[in-house]
Amino acid sequence: MLYLFQVLNGLGLGMIYFLISAGLTIIFGLLNFVNFAHGAFFMLGGYLCWSLTELTGNFWLSLLIGPPAVACLAWVAEAALIRRIYRLPHTFHILVTVGIALILQETTIMIWGPTGKNIPVPAGLQGVVTLWNFAYPTYRLFLIAFTSLIGLALWYLLEQTRFGGLVRAGSESAEMVSLLGTNIHRLFARTFALGVGLAGLAGVLSAPIRGVHPFMGPEVLGIAFVVVVIGGMGSFTGALLGGLLVGLVQSLMSTIWPEGANLMIYGAMAAVILLRPYGLFGRA
Amino acid sequence: MVPRSGLPGGSAAVVAVILVLMPLVLPSSTMATEILIFAMASLACNLLLGYGGLLSFGQGIFFGSGAYLSSLVMMHAGAGLISALLTAIASGAVLATLVGALAIRRTGIYFVMMTLAFNQTAYFIAYTLSDWTGGDNGLLDVPRPPLALFGATLADLSGATAYYVFVAVLFLLVFIATVTVISSPFGSTLIGVRENEARACAVGYDARNFKIVAFALSGAVTALAGALYAMLLNFAPLENIQLSMSENIVVMTVIGGTGSLLGSLLGAGSWVIISDILAEVWPRWLILMGGALILIVLFLRGGLWGGVESLMQRFSHQNKGHQGPDDAPDEKDESV
Amino acid sequence: MTDPCILKTENLSLSYGGFTAVDKVNLQVKHKTVHSVIGPNGAGKTSLFHCLTGGRRPTGGRILFKDEEITNKSAHARVGSGMARSFQITSLFQNLTVRENLRLASQGRDGNRALVFWRSVSARGEHQALADQVMERLGLTHKAGVAAGDLSHGQQRILEVGMALCGKPALLLLDEPTAGMGVNDIPMMTELIAELGKDYSVLLIEHNMGIVMSISDTITVMSRGNVLIEGKPAEIRADMRVREAYLGEVA
Repeated sequence: MLYLFQVLNGLGLGMIYFLISAGLTIIFGLLNFVNFAHGAFFMLGGYLCWSLTELTGNFWLSLLIGPPAVACLAWVAEAALIRRIYRLPHTFHILVTVGIALILQETTIMIWGPTGKNIPVPAGLQGVVTLWNFAYPTYRLFLIAFTSLIGLALWYLLEQTRFGGLVRAGSESAEMVSLLGTNIHRLFARTFALGVGLAGLAGVLSAPIRGVHPFMGPEVLGIAFVVVVIGGMGSFTGALLGGLLVGLVQSLMSTIWPEGANLMIYGAMAAVILLRPYGLFGRA
Repeated sequence: MVPRSGLPGGSAAVVAVILVLMPLVLPSSTMATEILIFAMASLACNLLLGYGGLLSFGQGIFFGSGAYLSSLVMMHAGAGLISALLTAIASGAVLATLVGALAIRRTGIYFVMMTLAFNQTAYFIAYTLSDWTGGDNGLLDVPRPPLALFGATLADLSGATAYYVFVAVLFLLVFIATVTVISSPFGSTLIGVRENEARACAVGYDARNFKIVAFALSGAVTALAGALYAMLLNFAPLENIQLSMSENIVVMTVIGGTGSLLGSLLGAGSWVIISDILAEVWPRWLILMGGALILIVLFLRGGLWGGVESLMQRFSHQNKGHQGPDDAPDEKDESV
Repeated sequence: MTDPCILKTENLSLSYGGFTAVDKVNLQVKHKTVHSVIGPNGAGKTSLFHCLTGGRRPTGGRILFKDEEITNKSAHARVGSGMARSFQITSLFQNLTVRENLRLASQGRDGNRALVFWRSVSARGEHQALADQVMERLGLTHKAGVAAGDLSHGQQRILEVGMALCGKPALLLLDEPTAGMGVNDIPMMTELIAELGKDYSVLLIEHNMGIVMSISDTITVMSRGNVLIEGKPAEIRADMRVREAYLGEVA
């Protein structure tokens, strides 16, 4: 029963990691751009969740407003700054987004203070669901179901819509897409906002479980990198399976050897690098 | 990121003068020491980034392990100053060889992501081994032994000024060594690998070897800086090995100017001075650094030192009449 | 040196998935000759070239260089044994000077010996001397201090060949050295390659028939991964199959 508990925990955690990494990987696929501020946007999602819940007393409102707000901020950042540096080498992408991450982190401390905050589990999802003699927190069950729905929606968006077709085609050749008469700037901006919005969504959803603190950005970024290194950068499936794998390992290890839980996932990453340098689902 | 400098081989002399002036100008010699320690780490980062084109977010691994291991051999094995520093240097070189060899299996952003993930690994190892590292509390009561050789005490370093002199001498040695490395066959080839790896390979170089050696050298120097930092603070905090340390080192290097060694001193200097001045008034000064990083990518790729240089060039052009920038380049000086 | 050939391939093959780009090719390059490989697009010239330079592992057959098997040797290790290449698309150290480009290329022959980081470059004068010598031969001495990226296109192509020369190779592998060159620059390149043929063995992949016919000692015509015919320029010019192969491409 303990294991079932941990497996479910791992699934929930894994789906959160999946949302973060999918955002990272979608942006990378189309824009060929690595967003080192991704973790900071995740953190921002968490803080927005806290503020909106405090303000309105309603978690659902924060779920409705938080992620789009993060996406809007990303859209502005894209238009004002990131658009100017696409043509530069990756090193500059990284430096600029590290700069953004620093600014977001310090601004967060200015607004919300240097210590972390706890977000109450939303009304209606408190308590546990009991099945036979197994009890599991309702919110965590909701988390698994909701993120699965988001995952499906994301899959539909990428595979079945015109927008998704353009994103996928653009990952192959951005020039071709612009030849199709699509405004590539707009496509890039929307994709960046979508990817970052997913990090924001993950931030909102995980806030009631893990709380928020201003230095969580780099930690989350590190885990997202592990996921995409394991899954393969640019691969949606890789982000899903990599995310679940990391979530499960972390969760199961926490009962066996809590201090080593994080070590294990980085060890897993090192093993993947050695055995399959392009990740489990990555293209060479 | 183009390595250029208006200063010919005399840059070591310039550094020597700066080292003498620093404690006189700055509010304390402790601050001057801190600047030199971070400048050392920044030099090492610059070797990788400015000359090898390798952006490493794993420098904290070497900085932190240098701090921990030198402290531990002093505290548990009774090691003296020199053997503690040598331990740090060796451990830095070994760890960097490992990290480098794994990370360079991939290039571009994957490489950078892997260095970052390795830093997280090192952090969690240090966190887990709290019996040795003190975990969150850090390693307390790190000694600062006197400089002794074969049992004979040469200098007591417990005073702030004495320690500054010791660090300054080491810094000068590291600086000269770095200049030598960059103008060596190795350094010039490393620049070639950065410029065009396929071409470097086609004329006979195994690019991997050059990258790994660059990592080893960088790791050794960074670990030395870490060890000196622990002795300065008498304390080795967990922050030394955190990702933010790697980030700070990279940011200092870029702000100072990649591809120019004096830039590293300038970058570390501005970082330490700004943080010190603003720490009391406005603790969120890191925003400035984030903003500076963005501005430098947008407008001043040569960093602060690049800006100083172009000012100096404009000035000397006005004085000497016009002289084309490409008239007399001498590749020996090009990258110092 | 009893063997008249410096480079031999035995049933060399390269396939990508189901497609066979190079199909059991037997090629023999004699010492100090200019040997050209021509053929319509898609004939497998570039794939063959990749196998010879070490850019790709052949899927079958062997490559013998100076009677030593090098089939699976890495690209950089081949330089040490006496092979050097140029690129079809100019590949130089763009931000470094012409002189430094050639010096690095000279130093590359010694491969890992360049890992010494404790000595100054000037201590290794022989590399600089060789670089200067090659620079003179290329007629680029007056451009010594110019960044490679600032040279004219024609000069960059010449430097591209010069980079290979600095490896003091026994065999030069040149991949379309005139690619993208203006009409005015081509005679200069033709002359250079013809002259190199006296001192080195040259394997040339080239589209420009004028050059191939005027400077080659031997020409191999490839078509669809196979060797169609091999012979002296005059024989190739007269051969009907060659015309068909090329006409086939046009049609």
